[in-house]
Amino acid sequence: MDAIQFIMLSLLLYCCAALVALLGGGGRAARLAAGWVSLLASLAGVVSAAMAFAASDSPTIALLQLPPFGVLALQIDPLSAFFVGLIGLIGAATSLYSMSSPSVSGAVGFFTYSFLAAMLLVVSVNNGFFFLLFWELMTLLSYFLVIWKYQDRESVKTGYLYMLVAHVGAALLLTAFLILYWQTDSFSFRLWHQAWVSPGVKTVVFLLIFVGFGAKAGMAPLHFWAPGTYSAAPDHASALMSAVMKKTAVYGLLRFCVDLLGVSAWWWGFVILLFGVASTVIGAFYALTERDIKRLLAYSSVENVGIILMGVGVGMFGLAVQQPVLATLGLLAALYHLLNHAFFKAMLFLGAGQVIAQTGTQDLNRMGGLARRMPWTALTFLVGALAAAAVPPLNGFVSEWFTYQALFTASAIPFFAMRVFAPLFAVSLALAGALALMVYIKAYGGAFAGPARSQPAAAAQESNSAALFSLFYLSLGCLILGLGAPWVVSWIAGVVSQITHVPAIAVSSGWQVFPADPGQAVFSPLLAALLLIGLLVAPLLIIALYGGFRAGRRSDVEPWACGYGYSSSMSLTASSFDQPVKATFQLLYWLRTRLNKPFQAIAEFSRSTVRQILRAEPAIETIVTRPATRLVESAGQWIQALQMGDIRVYCLYIILTLAVLLFAIFGRSGL
Amino acid sequence: MTPAGLIGVGVLQALLLLVAAPLFSGFARVLRAKIQNRKGPPVLQNFLDLAKLMKRQEVVSEQAGWVFHAAPYVLMSTMLLVALLLPVLAVQSPLGAAGDLILLIYLFALPRFFLSLAGLDSGSPFGGIGSRRELFISALVEPVLLLVVFVMALLAGSTNLGTISGKVAAGALPPSMAFWLGLAAFAFASFIEMGKLPFDLAEAEQELQEGPLAEYSGRSLAILKWGLYLRQLVLAALFLALFLPFGSMRVLSPAGALLAIAAFLLKAVVFYFIAAVLENAMARIRFMKSPATIWLALGAAVLSFVFYLAHV
Repeated sequence: MDAIQFIMLSLLLYCCAALVALLGGGGRAARLAAGWVSLLASLAGVVSAAMAFAASDSPTIALLQLPPFGVLALQIDPLSAFFVGLIGLIGAATSLYSMSSPSVSGAVGFFTYSFLAAMLLVVSVNNGFFFLLFWELMTLLSYFLVIWKYQDRESVKTGYLYMLVAHVGAALLLTAFLILYWQTDSFSFRLWHQAWVSPGVKTVVFLLIFVGFGAKAGMAPLHFWAPGTYSAAPDHASALMSAVMKKTAVYGLLRFCVDLLGVSAWWWGFVILLFGVASTVIGAFYALTERDIKRLLAYSSVENVGIILMGVGVGMFGLAVQQPVLATLGLLAALYHLLNHAFFKAMLFLGAGQVIAQTGTQDLNRMGGLARRMPWTALTFLVGALAAAAVPPLNGFVSEWFTYQALFTASAIPFFAMRVFAPLFAVSLALAGALALMVYIKAYGGAFAGPARSQPAAAAQESNSAALFSLFYLSLGCLILGLGAPWVVSWIAGVVSQITHVPAIAVSSGWQVFPADPGQAVFSPLLAALLLIGLLVAPLLIIALYGGFRAGRRSDVEPWACGYGYSSSMSLTASSFDQPVKATFQLLYWLRTRLNKPFQAIAEFSRSTVRQILRAEPAIETIVTRPATRLVESAGQWIQALQMGDIRVYCLYIILTLAVLLFAIFGRSGL
Repeated sequence: MTPAGLIGVGVLQALLLLVAAPLFSGFARVLRAKIQNRKGPPVLQNFLDLAKLMKRQEVVSEQAGWVFHAAPYVLMSTMLLVALLLPVLAVQSPLGAAGDLILLIYLFALPRFFLSLAGLDSGSPFGGIGSRRELFISALVEPVLLLVVFVMALLAGSTNLGTISGKVAAGALPPSMAFWLGLAAFAFASFIEMGKLPFDLAEAEQELQEGPLAEYSGRSLAILKWGLYLRQLVLAALFLALFLPFGSMRVLSPAGALLAIAAFLLKAVVFYFIAAVLENAMARIRFMKSPATIWLALGAAVLSFVFYLAHV
């Protein structure tokens, strides 16, 4: 079997899982069966990606001929394979998780598994028309996941905003595709790649595509739909949307801008870089002041998408100014961070899901102390939080390190705009990094540390084994991606060279990674990690030398409260944690409330338009049909007065009728 | 230098920093006492305190989880790793293979993460407020540190510690305005990170009951305090290694090592002396006023970058 057969198998299995979930209803057996089938599907996807990397060509399969639009064909080149693998790897985790979660059954299960299939189709199809078709399908399926609590007005409203932004984005993409169709008379990616398109048209197409995909990726300032959406969706769907669906937008950006159109101007990359920096900083600031754990994670996704876009921007800039090393470093940083973010963010969303299931709230202020009640969930969440806060030597830091190196390389090339801005962008990344540290201390501290701040939090239970298994799998992934960086980056560098068609550049040897030139920087995550663990011996040794272990430990006292009785309400809550930042950067938060208003107004306007349309559509009914029915009804009521229910009156009616009839007959015959 | 020799140098300097850290803090205590016209404790007082703490029973609040217990050990192990990475005695990083300057700056985040969580984990209100202050200050200082690091790295053409230190020591980087302003900004930033008085906000001894340290006792407190002393010295050593790497070894030799140790101790004494004078010449700032002062450091760093761009 080859890659293409495996991806067909994966699609088929996802569809089976969706059907099993739908037909099986809410039962536990159906949920388990669907979960297992979807797990197999995810594995098939991973195998398919692996085989596609090993293959020398890009395997293709034609499925359907639809004359005006071209051929529906799946093709797995290295870029597609990377994302197919990503969907499989994260899909496996959510499938495992789904088995444990009662909410993933029936319709929710159906939408989840078909959502996975749709994403797989998006990244593997090689025709613009079908790309857009599956793109819409993906949006639609995820929309149904967002409004799974459809009785809740707030979540329906959120879903509406999501749908609106997604469709504005899709409309821009459609325009771009139609322009390309008009230029090439075809929707086929191959022809788009080969065709000559004038620079002016290319620029227009780039801008349309950038904004279109940017909206889906949740890039600032088009990120405002993300927090509510992730907060409303079920946990596994938030994980999938943040870890995978956002990344399909990055796939689109790479596919159309780097692969098909080819980067033709330096400012393309620069614009992406600029928006990336804005997302990074804004995402970090806004994540910090959230007390809803899922909204916090959603804003943190905005930040991480920013970091990914920074890498993409540097890479595209490098391609435009013919600096292959810079291009490779930028795209390598982007793809690596994309993979890392998928793992730690899926981990955090699923972990948060377990916490929410136990405490019955998304409010960090009402959790607390869960590390004692749910130790394994806490441990995996801590790994995810450390990775997301870019703490070395975990994976989140390693890919940020590559982003720094890409920016450093960019600021050393003789190009004035980059020499000025790249170091400042690095500083923004540092600021965002420091804020992200605070964000994740708040998230972990609010949920797991300190005293329990609510009744359900005090009585929480450890997650069940299927959920724990998926959490362990994802946090292990974080560790492997971080400590195994030399192997991961040399593999990604190979993928990048196949995407950009520049010769591969060495970025690792042995245990070390380096940005093309070891003289510029070297870093060995594994060595650093081993030393960190090894050096823990030193303090233990010091204590042992002083004989400190003999003194023992008591852990039954209350925290010091200046001599007063301690109460758990004295501990710092999550929302007071960020107060200094809120006070110092007031302007930024004030701007958010201000800037949100126009977007809210647009959403409100379109909602009221829909209401008007709903009113206008049945005009015939209100003007013609309804008065007529009303007339008939009232006539009926009037006639009803005859019906008195007295047998004698009815006899009178009969006699009267007879009399009238006799009169009529005899009157006519002339008697 | 041979790899084995370098590792030897690394172990030597890590031990040196570890042992010298409480000594230097003791020195700072003595200086403060002298400036305030007090007699002050003996220089070795910190060692005596640590030894006494080690033998005491540890009393931990029942709220505390394992993050609280792990934090002191993580702090010390991370600071020792930084001590191994820094070019203190040689102009080369003894463990340059493990990472560069960016890793080093980010390594400070690891104990910060654990220590701040420990502050929240203890359930003590003082711990929580201390952590939040610590993180806020570091969020403001981090951009300053990174910008200066970037300017230095651009001047040297590498983010490897050994390369920068070596080039500065060899005079390959002509002392420019960019260099001097970078030096000023970095010195200011490390002064803040060391928790010296105007910025003594996270572990404020008088008003916050030492913040995140409030709930620690016994051997954990001893290790934590030692780790904090080590962090101060390591920050000073980082500054010295980047900007004033004079007297460090170029070739490995016992005599060179002795000379390098003497040179480092001398530089550190001067650094601590200046820091102590500055510290005692200033009053404490109100916490929410501190950003205004930190912007100054950022301004100096940005100016340094502008001078780098203008080749001045």
